[in-house]
Amino acid sequence: MALRELSSLEKYLGLKKPNKYTTQGDKKVPVLQNNNGPPLVGLVTIGCHLVKEAKRPKLLGDSAESRAVVQQWLEYRVTSLDGCSKEDNKTILKDLNLYLQDKVYMAGSQFTLADTFMYFGIHPLLVDLAIQEKEQYVNVTRWFDHIQHYPGLRHHLPPVAVLRNRIYTSKHH
Amino acid sequence: MKLFVSEGNPHCLKVLAALEVSGVQCDVQYVNHEERVVPFLSRPALPALILPSGLHLFSSNAICRYLFEISGQDSSELCNQWLEWEATDLQPALLQALHMAVLQGKGSEVSKVLQGPLNYLEQSLSKGNTPYLTGEAVSVADVVLWAALYPVLSDSSLALGERTSVKAWFDRGAVMHSCQSAAQKVLQGKGLQGMKSYMQRQPASQSSQCRGTQPCN
Repeated sequence: MALRELSSLEKYLGLKKPNKYTTQGDKKVPVLQNNNGPPLVGLVTIGCHLVKEAKRPKLLGDSAESRAVVQQWLEYRVTSLDGCSKEDNKTILKDLNLYLQDKVYMAGSQFTLADTFMYFGIHPLLVDLAIQEKEQYVNVTRWFDHIQHYPGLRHHLPPVAVLRNRIYTSKHH
Repeated sequence: MKLFVSEGNPHCLKVLAALEVSGVQCDVQYVNHEERVVPFLSRPALPALILPSGLHLFSSNAICRYLFEISGQDSSELCNQWLEWEATDLQPALLQALHMAVLQGKGSEVSKVLQGPLNYLEQSLSKGNTPYLTGEAVSVADVVLWAALYPVLSDSSLALGERTSVKAWFDRGAVMHSCQSAAQKVLQGKGLQGMKSYMQRQPASQSSQCRGTQPCN
């Protein structure tokens, strides 16, 4: 899973030469063998490294505040979202729905690496949701649909059907 | 900018230590464990930092990294890697260890639970051959890991055994003094028992138990 995410990220970033990854431990943590130094370990660490390699620093946030928010959601992805139970899923979707009600992207008004990895991580949760449940988490669904249509991002994941018209008309703001 | 912390919460120890080491000025307010400072989270999450823009940070590592960055110390890739390891590998094992030591009185089993992460730390420190985790100077990674491990490593019943590099790193003065005053604020001099009311509210995760006993590298 993590390796496919990194390969999708490389394509999105337009990195010409695909990197070689291995995994370590029973959690299959990704490892990048780095020519210039010791290997890099961990999905978030490698993801941030690729962004720097592609010279797209804005994807990590354009101020100290937004960088902190991006890092927070990257950490949330690999701690709270990965390996959560069915019960946790509901809490996570509820919390994210509230968080996203006044935001376009995870870090506010700019697309960042947090959107990429949160999208990859939320995908298995949304695939399992019934239509009524998707409507319950209307802000998550709106954000998710926006990201899955983001040019060049989806790659290894199938699109998730979202009923746009009902989502945008069923609630008064 | 305002920082919310609660007594007896080991994650608050990290941010108070980072505040001391970075020298950043910030209002600190002590609240109850159950206080919901972050409006969008169902479960209470402390520490929490309200940024000048009004956004909330609820991850202790993100808060520490932010405090270091605004004091002029960006985190390196190696630093990122330690922070990710702390969150994904060390914390699940620590939660289980603290649960055993504080609530079940099984302090003697803590060394076993922490064996994997501590061995990994020992290997990295002895291989790197530098006084601190990322080189010659203290970084946010040292502060976060030090503060995370302080409650268990400062308890005399939990021996480090042959891990001489971890011991030397843990005893190094630069981090220790700032962290000790943060520890005093959070644990109130009561050691592990200072965390009792906090630990009683934490779920004992089954998955963290399997993870904690596996060697992690």
